[in-house]
Amino acid sequence: MSGRSIGRLAGRAILLLAAFSAVFPAFWTALNAFKNRVDIVTPTPLFIFTPTLDNFAYVLGRDSVFDGLFNSLVTSGAAVLIGAVLGLPAAYATARHPNRWSKDIQFFVLSLRFLPPVAVAIPLMVIWLQLELYDTRLSLIITYTLLTLATVVWLSVPAFARVPKEVEEAARVDGYGPYAIFFLIALPIASRSLIGAVAFAFVLVWNEFLIALMLTTSDAKTLPIVASELTQLGRDVPWGILNASVVLLSIPPLLFIGVLSGMLNSAFKRKSS
Amino acid sequence: MKNKNTLPWVFLAPAMVVLAVLALVPTVCAIVISFEDRELSRPDGNFVGFDNYLALFSDRRFVNAITVSLSWEVITVGFTMLIAVGLGILLFECVSRRTRNILALLFIVPVILPRVSAAFVWKFAFHPLYGIATYPYKAITGQPLDLLSNPLTALGTVALVDVWQWGLFFSVIVLKLLETLPPQPFEAARLDHARTWEVYGYVALPMLKAPLISLAFVKMIESLRAFDLIYVMTRGGPGISTETLDMYAFSQGFIESGRISYASGMAVLMMIATSLAFTVIWKRAKI
Repeated sequence: MSGRSIGRLAGRAILLLAAFSAVFPAFWTALNAFKNRVDIVTPTPLFIFTPTLDNFAYVLGRDSVFDGLFNSLVTSGAAVLIGAVLGLPAAYATARHPNRWSKDIQFFVLSLRFLPPVAVAIPLMVIWLQLELYDTRLSLIITYTLLTLATVVWLSVPAFARVPKEVEEAARVDGYGPYAIFFLIALPIASRSLIGAVAFAFVLVWNEFLIALMLTTSDAKTLPIVASELTQLGRDVPWGILNASVVLLSIPPLLFIGVLSGMLNSAFKRKSS
Repeated sequence: MKNKNTLPWVFLAPAMVVLAVLALVPTVCAIVISFEDRELSRPDGNFVGFDNYLALFSDRRFVNAITVSLSWEVITVGFTMLIAVGLGILLFECVSRRTRNILALLFIVPVILPRVSAAFVWKFAFHPLYGIATYPYKAITGQPLDLLSNPLTALGTVALVDVWQWGLFFSVIVLKLLETLPPQPFEAARLDHARTWEVYGYVALPMLKAPLISLAFVKMIESLRAFDLIYVMTRGGPGISTETLDMYAFSQGFIESGRISYASGMAVLMMIATSLAFTVIWKRAKI
């Protein structure tokens, strides 16, 4: 028995270490965002220092960062909205009204994830240049819709499939039409998982880098691109400012952490019962 | 009952049309461009047949990029799965349900961080002079440790960040999978005095074979999208030691020479290789 309890103790220590590694780097970055340059560039890492808001003030005061934030919000938001409006009904149809193409549709949607982003970005750059839409938010929204729509469909099919069939049958007996069943029965019942799927699609486009890098040069640049460019401000790397912009970039996805973990929980719980 | 037949079409058609147009147009376009000699500075190209493809195979950097990409896949998928299964079992075995849920929430943090953020966080942590991760080494030996500038360690160091993001997240999924298993086989095995590792090695993990394979499959696809990590942390360097296929295609097409058609040829080859590989794996595994 003692062997087992020693093992359990060691296991807990490893888990603690893993939890520390999961959170500490982000915590350290947040801490550095409040430091003056002298407190970051020290031979020994400093935990106690006089905090400053200068870094955040500088970052938020720069037009490029502000524009990037605005572009990111608009492009991610619009692409997710379109993805949800088109994707949720499509996922429902695939899950509830299967036909001989349903399997192929699911594979097609998943196969869009195989496409190397460079392979999509190079021709799109040429196309948007020819249409004179290059470096616009519109072209980025359309491109991102490919990402959000595929993701929403992919994650929502199982969510709709988990809605108990009996509930829908009962609604049909009560005289509900198929559209009413979707809007009034299936959508509300599956809403928790569906919100998770939509949130996941948002996090995915918010974090997207390569396509935005290749499809924008100045006007439509998103926040990840702006953040990555801050390193090239000069020979003296502005570490405090860099850390502040990393924190700013990470806040929106982190706001969804509860929603995403809720999605994980419901995805696995229902399947078992 | 007329409505009953319209719903699948009304609901499916718009999404499928949008997806097909958005996916097919660039794909066809990429193939067309790869048979031309387009450059960034010269938008109109001439048809050159297979020249770009033939040139690729005598390109030393292309061959290097294939090797780097393959090692990247093997390292990141392998270690992510190892860590996911290991930590997942520990979560299931060693802590109460309450602690489990708290740890699970913390383990999701890295994967939600934008890759650009994660890359900066760790790039700074690995800074030879001011980094927190390299500080212990510096304090003990008095020497700075520069992992990202060393061709031997750079790829592994970037891979560590990828595994940090995905391994911890996948361990939460493995935990959820273990929680869905029926308890009886576990109890039976314990009654037979099976050791803990035997319970998992012979009972639990074989029961989870299919979902674990699909997890590895998802990670394989996801590992192909490491561009942002590598771009921020090393830009393919030092030399070409971390230059993956997408990094090389990007620098050929945009940074160095603007050879869009050449880069497009590379992208098309990647597209064919990944589609073939993943379709075969998908049909084989019947996930």
